[in-house]
Amino acid sequence: MSTLLEVNGLQTYFDTIDGVLKAVDGVTFSLDRGATLGIVGESGSGKSVTALSIMRLIPMPPGRFAGGDIRYEDRSILEMSAAEVRSLRGNNIAMIFQDPMTSLNPVYRVGKQIGESLRLHKGMSRKSADVRAAELLDVVGIPNASQRAKDYPHQFSGGMRQRAMIAMAVACDPDILIADEPTTALDVTIQAQILDLMIELQQEKDTAIIMITHDLGIVADMVDNVMVMYAGRPVEEGTVDQVFYDPKHPYTWGLLDSLPRYDVDDKGRLIPIEGQPPSLIAVPSGCAFHPRCPYARDVCRAEEPKLSNLGDGHVAACHFAGSSGFVRGSTAGGAA
Amino acid sequence: MADQDHRHKIDLEQVAEHVEEQVAYGLEVQGPVRPTRTLWRDTVRRLRKNKLAVAGLIWVSIVLVMAVTADLWVPPLLGDPIALDTTQVSARRLQPPSWEHPFGTDNLGRDVAARVVYGARVSLRVGVLAVSISVVIGLLMGAIAAFYGGLSDTIIMRLADVFFAFPYILFAIAMIALLGPSETNVFIAIGILGWPSIARVFRSSILSVKENEYVDAARALGASDPRILSRHILPNAVAPIIVYGTMSIGGAILSEAALSFLGMGVQPPQPSWGNMLAEARSMMVVAPWIMLWPGLAILTTVLAFVLMGDGLRDALDVKMKE
Repeated sequence: MSTLLEVNGLQTYFDTIDGVLKAVDGVTFSLDRGATLGIVGESGSGKSVTALSIMRLIPMPPGRFAGGDIRYEDRSILEMSAAEVRSLRGNNIAMIFQDPMTSLNPVYRVGKQIGESLRLHKGMSRKSADVRAAELLDVVGIPNASQRAKDYPHQFSGGMRQRAMIAMAVACDPDILIADEPTTALDVTIQAQILDLMIELQQEKDTAIIMITHDLGIVADMVDNVMVMYAGRPVEEGTVDQVFYDPKHPYTWGLLDSLPRYDVDDKGRLIPIEGQPPSLIAVPSGCAFHPRCPYARDVCRAEEPKLSNLGDGHVAACHFAGSSGFVRGSTAGGAA
Repeated sequence: MADQDHRHKIDLEQVAEHVEEQVAYGLEVQGPVRPTRTLWRDTVRRLRKNKLAVAGLIWVSIVLVMAVTADLWVPPLLGDPIALDTTQVSARRLQPPSWEHPFGTDNLGRDVAARVVYGARVSLRVGVLAVSISVVIGLLMGAIAAFYGGLSDTIIMRLADVFFAFPYILFAIAMIALLGPSETNVFIAIGILGWPSIARVFRSSILSVKENEYVDAARALGASDPRILSRHILPNAVAPIIVYGTMSIGGAILSEAALSFLGMGVQPPQPSWGNMLAEARSMMVVAPWIMLWPGLAILTTVLAFVLMGDGLRDALDVKMKE
């Protein structure tokens, strides 16, 4: 496997009237061909901004890249010209949006919209784009595809629209597919179908997927590596097994504890993470998580923890990560 | 499993029965019928249900057809609308409506009906051309302001505010005083004065469409700015312009009539509804019909355009599902 995408210390800031909003502050990860990365975190933790930064879809101003780099096949995306970025979008890196109900243009037939990127990037004629669009609809499991390609989006159900969105995204066989909470707007039975479809297409084309979600269940199911984000920073990264079965960061513990589980006899209450995510304009000093962390000590308030290597690519940004005796539920004392 | 198979079989049997029934009755057997619905087809369907809008459309069509074909039937039937037979003026002038002159004759013995029909030509021409000018300038300005925002937005919208700050008819009179009174200058003046409202409506319409996720999706597909604007934003933002433009034609006809009434528009002997009113004013008591007909023509035609616009607004609103 070769490294396809490398994000290094990415900082995406927004200049607002209240000050600088550090939406993404030092995100680092790499993505191999055919691999799947899950980015997990609460709302406002910088997941979507990370994705939009990769696509260079951040509105500027007010947004700006304050530091770091994004390299696709060893070319810096941040240094590309507008035209180069356009030829990358949809062609090499494609994105599936969260809400299929609003992501399709209501005035065009579904087939036309799927064909648009083919016409843009592959220079296809109207006719061959139409034919290919119908094939793609068939691939994503729309019955009677050549007929349905002539439908307008309002004639599609939510699940069908998300399938159409996926068809649009994979039309040009992109290397990377960014899915920004692709199943949030769908009901559970459809969710599973859509995820299966994505996995299927990935295996066929060796596409890399960045799956942005706050649904840890999805992550556990289909992801190779996980990055947990908090307040615009990665707090823990590793393989699914590492992060799920041997989490080292108190925030990850909190996320996992707040999941409903059916495999535990103890039908106790869920344990939520108390408090609110911090404002990204005034991020708490030291460790951004310390005001909500039941294990916080003085050092957490004063010093920002660096990502420390815990072996086998498992990293966590906590002063105590990996130290003996610092385990889940060990100390409930010292809460801020 | 067996249970399911059983159910399946029954379904198939029912379907077969249904098909047989259809064949027996000579009906065409076909798959589930799903007529393709488009925004335009839906709009036409909804528009047809609105009786007032249909009435407006019919009236506009009648006026349009009469105006376009006027040269064919007006002179032989009603007489020349402009030229007058100087020897006959005293005998023919100020006749009340009759079979020969259904709308009567004016102060110079010309047929009022003929002049009203030829006046319709002026009104429709000015209405359509003036609104075309407004729409072209307004769309361009509104699109630039909304899409690029920032400084261009400020400059364009403040310029529009300046236009709004002047009393409309005074501004028009000032422009025509500058250009000289003629039909061409009237529609140019009305057209130029009309762009700020179109720009405003279009700008706000684009701003709301711009926020839609499909615009981001198009950008994520690698579409360029002009392509996003023309293919993804414009088609979703023009509905209010169609409505506003239709209504504006009525407004432009009214403005033309006002300007011609004041002597700043179409000049006599060329007939226009406005200058006919002006000429008839002094004879209102002795020959009220001269004033009545052009006045009625203005009223009904402007009303027809407004009703049409109103109907279009309801018909284009996709949320108004019956």
